[in-house]
Amino acid sequence: MLQKKICMLGGFAVGKTSLVRRFVQSIFSETYLTTVGVKIDKKNVALQDKTVDLILWDLAGEDDIGSFRVSYVRGATGLVLVVDGTRAATLAVALTLRERAEAEFGAMPFVLLINKSDLADRWAISDSEINELRQRGWQIYLTSALSGEHVDDAFRQLALMVTK
Amino acid sequence: METLRQLLVSREISELSRVTHLLDEPEQLAAAVGGVLSSAAARAPHTQLGEALAPAVERAVQRSIQKSPRTLTDILYPVFLPAIRKSIGEKIDQTFQSLNETLRHIFTWHGLKWRFESWRTGASFSEVVLKHSLIYRVEHAFLINRNSGLLIAHVTADNATSEDPQLISSMLSAIQDFVKDSFNEKEQSGLDTIRFGDLRLWSEVGPFATLVAVIRGNPPEDLHEIIRDVLLRIHEECSQALVEFDGDSSQLAGVEAQLQTCVELKQEESNQGFPWLVVALALLLLILAGGWFFLSWQSGQRWQAYVSRLETQPGIIVAEQKIRDGQFYIAGLRDPLGADPQSLLSGTQVDPDRVHSQWQFYQSLEPEFVLKRLTASLAPPVSVRLSIVNDRIVAEGEAPNTWIDRARAAARQLSAGGPLFDISRVRDVSPEVREAEHWQAYVSRLETQPGIIVAEQKIRDGQFYIVGLRDPLGADPQSLLPGTQIDPARVHSQWQFYQSLEPEFVLKRLTALLYPLNSVRLSIVQGRIVAEGEAPDTWIDRARAAARQLSAGGPEFDISKVLDVSPEARAAEHWQYYVSRLEAQPGIIVAQQTERGGDFYISGLRDPLAVDPKALLSGTEVDPARVHSQWQFYQSLDPKFVVKRLTASLTPPKSVQLSIVQGRIVVVGEAPAAWINRAQAAAEQLSADGVVLDVSQLHELNLAELNYLREAIQATDIFFYSGKVVPGPEQLPVLDRLADQIKEFAQNARKSGVTARFMLTGHSDATGRETANASISAARAETVRALLNKRGVAPELLLVRGAGTFEPLVPENSQTGSSTNRRVSITVNLD
Repeated sequence: MLQKKICMLGGFAVGKTSLVRRFVQSIFSETYLTTVGVKIDKKNVALQDKTVDLILWDLAGEDDIGSFRVSYVRGATGLVLVVDGTRAATLAVALTLRERAEAEFGAMPFVLLINKSDLADRWAISDSEINELRQRGWQIYLTSALSGEHVDDAFRQLALMVTK
Repeated sequence: METLRQLLVSREISELSRVTHLLDEPEQLAAAVGGVLSSAAARAPHTQLGEALAPAVERAVQRSIQKSPRTLTDILYPVFLPAIRKSIGEKIDQTFQSLNETLRHIFTWHGLKWRFESWRTGASFSEVVLKHSLIYRVEHAFLINRNSGLLIAHVTADNATSEDPQLISSMLSAIQDFVKDSFNEKEQSGLDTIRFGDLRLWSEVGPFATLVAVIRGNPPEDLHEIIRDVLLRIHEECSQALVEFDGDSSQLAGVEAQLQTCVELKQEESNQGFPWLVVALALLLLILAGGWFFLSWQSGQRWQAYVSRLETQPGIIVAEQKIRDGQFYIAGLRDPLGADPQSLLSGTQVDPDRVHSQWQFYQSLEPEFVLKRLTASLAPPVSVRLSIVNDRIVAEGEAPNTWIDRARAAARQLSAGGPLFDISRVRDVSPEVREAEHWQAYVSRLETQPGIIVAEQKIRDGQFYIVGLRDPLGADPQSLLPGTQIDPARVHSQWQFYQSLEPEFVLKRLTALLYPLNSVRLSIVQGRIVAEGEAPDTWIDRARAAARQLSAGGPEFDISKVLDVSPEARAAEHWQYYVSRLEAQPGIIVAQQTERGGDFYISGLRDPLAVDPKALLSGTEVDPARVHSQWQFYQSLDPKFVVKRLTASLTPPKSVQLSIVQGRIVVVGEAPAAWINRAQAAAEQLSADGVVLDVSQLHELNLAELNYLREAIQATDIFFYSGKVVPGPEQLPVLDRLADQIKEFAQNARKSGVTARFMLTGHSDATGRETANASISAARAETVRALLNKRGVAPELLLVRGAGTFEPLVPENSQTGSSTNRRVSITVNLD
C-alpha cells in the first residue's frame, strides 16, 4: 500500500472542494473545513506499475495568508494549488501559500489548477501569464468543477511526480 | 637547476612548505580543521559519521556524568519532565479509578460476591472490582506516521467496523494538529484521550509514530502502559523503517503482529454469571418439598380434627386410628342411630377415598340413644312427650292404657346400667276414661253452681244421666255444657225447680217482689239481706211483711236501716234544718218557731244588714208559701255588723281600712280631718254600747296641694243675664276652665283616697217674685251641671241646689238687681 499526503491550497471560494468532490472518496462532511479547518479525502490513482492513494488534505481556503494553518502541511509530499480563473488575485494567493509551505517544509512537487474554465467570458488570467508560468516547468491545468475536465489528469500527473 | 627549480616550482615549494608547516603545527592544523569541521560533518554520510562519533560521544557523556551529573541532568531535564509528569498523572488516575470502583461496589451484592472471589483467588479486592467493573475491549489500533499523518498499519478486532482507516488516521493527526495549534500547546505528547460516549480513543505518541487505540467500554488506567509498551516495541523493532516511511507501508508489515496484541486486549463481562438455572432448580425442589410437607401436615391436622370430632359424637367410640403412607385408618364402634362417620367427613377436607374405616355396630346406653330407640319402638302418641331429665328418660302426657302397658314392658327390658325410663307421669286416657273425666268435670261444675243441687248422676252405656233441683233464677245446666267436650245428645237431665234459700236467690226474689225505691239499697251482709236508705212508710210496711214471710232457714231480711220518709216527716226535717241554719246566722236571733197543720211559724230579731231569712229558704226544700215569719229589726252589736254599719254611715275614704282585731274595731289609714271627727263621734257613741272603735291609728290626710285648686274652683262664678238660666257665650271659657279644674281636683282627691263633691249653688238677683227667683236659681245650677257634665265631669260628683236670693254676693237694690248676684257658685266638699 502506497500513500502520499497531498495538500490542496487555494484562496477563498476558488472551488477546491467542489472541484475534487466527484473524483475522491470521502467520509467527512464539509463542516470540517469550517471547524477543524481541514477535510481529508482520498484519491486512488492507478499508475502503470502500481497504485497510489493520494490522501488529500483539503485546507480551508483563506485569502488572509496570516490565518493559514501551515502545520497541516507537515509531512505532505505534494501540493495541489487551486486558482479561480475569474479572479486574478487568487493566483497570487495560491503562489504565496505555496511559498509559505515550502519555506516551512522545503520544496515539493505541485500542480496548479486554474478553475472555473467554463466561465470564459469572465476569465481574468491572460494566456501569456499562464504560458510564462508553464515556461518555468510548472504543470498547469485549466479545470472546471462543472465538467470535471482535466481534474483526473492533474491527479495522475501529481501521483507520477510524488512517486518518482 | 636550483634557479630553474626556483623559477619552475618556487611557488609550489613555498605553498608546500606552508602546508607542511600547517600540518606540523598542531595549533595551526586545529585552526584549519576547525574551520571546515562543521561543513565536513554535514557532508559526511550520516551513518558513518554516527558510527565514527558514537564511541567518542559515549565516552564524552560518561566522562561528563562522572565529572558532574548535574550538567547532563540540566540538559535532559526538559526532556524527562513531561514524561515523568505524565507517568505520575496516570498513576494517580489509576489509584482514583481503583478507589472509585471499590467504593461504588463495596456495599452491593456484587461487592459481596467479589469479596468472596478475592478471598478465593487471593487477589486484592480492588483488583477484583476493577476486573469486573471495567469492561472494555480494544476494537481498533491505528499506527500513524507522526509526520504526515499517513496510516502505517491498522488492526481491527473481530466484529468491529470502521470507516476508511486511511482517512481516519489523517483526520486524527489533523485534529491533533488542530488542538495543538488552537491552544498553542508546546507539549510533545499532544491529544492523548478522546472520549465519545462509550468509545475512547487513547493515543500514545512515539518519536515517529503514534499508536491510537479505539476502546469500547471502561478501560483501566494501566492500559495506557500496555499500549505504550506496544508502541515502544514497534519503535525498537522497526525504527529504521519508521524513520524512512514515505507512504509505503510494505516495509512495515511486521508491526501488524504487534498491533494485534493490542487489539486482543479486553475484559469481557463474565458470561459465567450467577448460576440462575441451578438456583431456580434448587428453589423449585425446595418449594415442591415444602409444599409436600405442608400438604401432608395439613391433611394430618385435618384428619386429627375429624377424629376428635368423631370422638365427641355420641354413639361413636373410636378404638384405633392411624395414618400410614398418606392413608387414614380408623376402627371403632358406632350406634346405628348415631351420626354416620362417613357423612361427618364432608366439610373436613379429608379425602374420603383415603379413609379406611371399620365400624362395629353397638347399642349405646347414652340417654339420647335410648330415647331414640324407645321413640322408634314405642311410637308414643302425640299427646306423650319423651324427654331426658337428669339422665333419666321421662314420659309425660296422656296415653291410652294399652300404650302405657307397652311402655312399662319396655322400661323393664331396658339394660341395667342404662338410663331409667320413668312413665309415672303419663296419665291413662282411654276414650271412656277421658269422657268420664269430662263428665265428672261438668258435674262438679254444676255442683258449685248456686241454685243447682245435683241429686244423682251416672254413666251407663256411654249415656250420661243426671237428676237434681234447680232454682229458676240460677244458671241453666244445659247452657253450661258447651266447652266441656261432652256430647249434649248423650246427656239426659231431669231437673225439679225449687226455691233456693241461698241469700243471692232470696235477694233476687225480694228485689222482684218489693221493687225497692231508688233511695233503698238491698245487699247481702254476712248471709243476711240488709235494706238501707229512705222509704215512705208504705214501702217499709210491705218490706216488713215480706221479711216475716221469708222461710225459716233462709237468710234474715233486715229493714231496720231504712228511714221512714213519709212527706210530713220529711217536711218537718227540712224545716228543722232551715231553722238551725237561721240560728247559725249572725245578726239573726230566732225567738220562737212551731209547726202546726203543715204550716211553719217563726219569729225573732234580725239585723237589717244580716242575710234575709227568706233568701236562706232556697235549697232547703221548705215550701216558702207555708212559712210564716215575723222579724223585728235590731242592731246587732256583733263587730262584723258594727263595721258594716260604720262603713255605710261613715263612708270611709279608700285610704282608710276598718278591721276587727280581737273583738275590737280598728280604723287605720289617712282621712280628711272632717272624716276623722265623724269617726271619733261614732266611736264615742259605740263605746256606750260596749263596742270599742279604735281611731287612734287614723292620720289626717294632707291635702295642701289640693287647696290651691280648691280655692280656684270655689272663687269661680258663672254669671247669667237677667231672667236667663243659660249662661251667656262669654261664660263658656270660664266653664271650660272650671270643668278642667274640677276634673283635676276630683282625680287628685281620688288618688289621696277621698271623694270630692262639688256643690253647685244657683243664685238670682232680687228682682221679681221670690218663688220665681228660687226656681230660676235652681235651674241655673242644673244648667251648669249639664254644661259641666258635657265637658266630661262625672255627674255624680256634682250636687245642685238653688239658693234663690238668700245668699247674695253683694247687697242690691231690689229694683235694678245686680248682675253679680245672677250666678252659680261652687263649693268643694271632701268626704
